[in-house]
Amino acid sequence: MRTKPERAHPVLERVAVVANDRVTEGVGLLRLRAPRIAATVHSGQFIHLRIAVGADFILRRPFAVHRRDGDVIEVLYRVAGRGTHDLETKRTGQEMDAIGPLGRGWEPGEVSSALLVAGGIGAAPLGMLAEDLAARGVAVSVALGAPSGERLVARGLFERVARRVGVVTEDGSEGETGLVTLLTARWLEQETFDVICACGPEGMARAVAEQARFARVPCLVSLERLMACGVGVCLSCVVSTTHGLKKACKHGPVFDAEEVVWDASESPQRA
Amino acid sequence: MPPSPRSVPEGMRPSTGAASVDMTVQLAGLTLRSPVMTASGTFASGHEYAEFVELERLGAIVTKGVSLEPWPGNDSPRIAETPSGMLNSIGLQNQGVEKFCEKQLARLGGVDVPVIVNVSGHSIAEYAAVVERLEQEPGVAGYEVNISCPNVDEGGMAFGVGCTPAAAVTRAVRDVTSRPLIVKLSPNVTDIAEIARAVEAEGADAVSLINTLLGMAIDPETRRPRLARVVGGLSGPAIRPVALRMVWQVAQAVALPVVGMGGIMTGEDAVEFMLAGAAAVAVGTANFVDPTSTRRVTDGLREYCVRHGVPRVRDLTGAMDQ
Ligand SMILES: Cc1cc2nc3c(=O)[nH]c(=O)nc-3n(C[C@H](O)[C@H](O)[C@H](O)COP(=O)(O)OP(=O)(O)OC[C@H]3O[C@@H](n4cnc5c(N)ncnc54)[C@H](O)[C@@H]3O)c2cc1C
Ligand SMILES: Cc1cc2nc3c(=O)[nH]c(=O)nc-3n(C[C@H](O)[C@H](O)[C@H](O)COP(=O)(O)O)c2cc1C
Ligand code: FES
Repeated sequence: MRTKPERAHPVLERVAVVANDRVTEGVGLLRLRAPRIAATVHSGQFIHLRIAVGADFILRRPFAVHRRDGDVIEVLYRVAGRGTHDLETKRTGQEMDAIGPLGRGWEPGEVSSALLVAGGIGAAPLGMLAEDLAARGVAVSVALGAPSGERLVARGLFERVARRVGVVTEDGSEGETGLVTLLTARWLEQETFDVICACGPEGMARAVAEQARFARVPCLVSLERLMACGVGVCLSCVVSTTHGLKKACKHGPVFDAEEVVWDASESPQRA
Repeated sequence: MPPSPRSVPEGMRPSTGAASVDMTVQLAGLTLRSPVMTASGTFASGHEYAEFVELERLGAIVTKGVSLEPWPGNDSPRIAETPSGMLNSIGLQNQGVEKFCEKQLARLGGVDVPVIVNVSGHSIAEYAAVVERLEQEPGVAGYEVNISCPNVDEGGMAFGVGCTPAAAVTRAVRDVTSRPLIVKLSPNVTDIAEIARAVEAEGADAVSLINTLLGMAIDPETRRPRLARVVGGLSGPAIRPVALRMVWQVAQAVALPVVGMGGIMTGEDAVEFMLAGAAAVAVGTANFVDPTSTRRVTDGLREYCVRHGVPRVRDLTGAMDQ
């Protein structure tokens, strides 16, 4: 089902901060000048960013490319710990190095309609996909979920390019009250889609995958794993699949939901 | 002292004096074009990093551990970041020696660099069987026998923590190969020099050290261990002083050449290991941090030699002043 576009080799690039702005509580949007990565990145691929040099945390941090804008790539990040806390303090002109583009992104193939499902910061890898699909004339529907209205991200982007955007929050502070699967269940009953692309907490991705299977719609999910190397060397990022263990950094982060053997203990996300 | 080369941006250092320093070293019967090798499990079989460094400039590529049958490895999470390092409990996930020969080794065929295969086993017989299979492959320059992995229940480290089993594995492998044989030692022992002497007596051509130090981490929020297997191996700069001490002790205890590793990030770090007695060094976790690390370490080592008027890098081995 998935077509395999030629993936460019990843490069190690000095990237410069063009802007770094807070978009909502605990979430920032980083714009990085990264001409070489921007030149070849596909939606759903990620970069492995070295946030600090000389700090006592040494590993890189993986982030999806949220959007591409000429020479600039955007990263939408949630402050989650030491690395992302440091990231928040980066100012225009500061440089870091990034490896990218990495992994296999969204490869929905030839479709005329798509349902994108985002939970919280899971909207990050869906931004560029929504733009690309819309530019190809695909009818894009986006279901956005978050614990509360302040945790909704990228709504503006989706509203610009999608045919329809639905919002669900757990506390009801915006949109409908409940989980995003409430909305996707209803949409899937009402109409059919050629593909579903989901990213968010692993429990959400799994629930969407089950709905997709029931509705017989192909479903792609982007998964997170702890990553050391990011390039397929260290085997820290494995995902259990029907074809055995696969590396999230190389064969993923986007997987065909049908091949994922869901195992919550593999996910790095804290509830 | 001249300014530190650290001020020059990574990957952009000039190769000053490239011609003036002899970078070759001898190791277990092999002539390496540089003392800088890769540490097993941190470079796969090289191809992923070929995008970032010239494999031909490495002293040797040491592969990920290979066993007789495929091993699935441990449950996730398999890594945890810790101060200046990381814990891993990958558990020697590999596809088994047959697939290894078919895929990885075949792909390295065209690359002009010695390939040292890191060998693991659950039993003494398995170590020997893996090596016997690899003997049929002309592309193998030598073996690094891993008797020190802290991440598998049977085998692995169990062989490396006592003189008798360490000697027995070495003997069993020595009996089936005349190729260079490096035995990789565990730091999780009371007296590493004693183990080094035991493997020397059984015919090892070199020893490499250190493998990872056993450690653990707990997430206070969830009260759960950060690794599924609870304990794992610590690597990276955090272990460098311990590794250096052990290299120094072993170099004094045996006549064999020593491959030193543990937290090497820069050329200066490599110099430390050589001064302590290492004939060659390996770069591990640093590859994850900076995929050009092997090149940086090599260039840094060469620049050090230029700066200090050292004509041959091998002159550094054991040259600590006391
Ligand atoms: C392919 C991929 C794409 C991602 N894209 C985005 C994105 O676009 N926006 C965003 O906000 N986050 C994204 N994440 C999650 C992001 O990488 C983590 O939130 C980040 O690494 C946390 O680092 P920290 O130092 O702030 O947290 P700490 O908890 O201090 O990090 C400690 C260690 O755990 C790792 N870690 C912690 N949480 C995660 C996690 N959820 N996933 C993977 N590793 C984790 C860190 O990388 C680090 O090695 C992505 C993860 C992956 C695997
Ligand atoms: C992710 C990972 C995987 C490893 N796999 C192996 C292995 O398969 N065989 C082995 O002998 N050592 C293995 N090691 C140990 C390294 O080769 C090295 O001895 C150790 O990490 C110390 O060096 P460093 O601090 O430079 O990483 C592994 C280390 C890491 C971090
Ligand atoms: S992060 Fe190293 S193999 Fe995926």
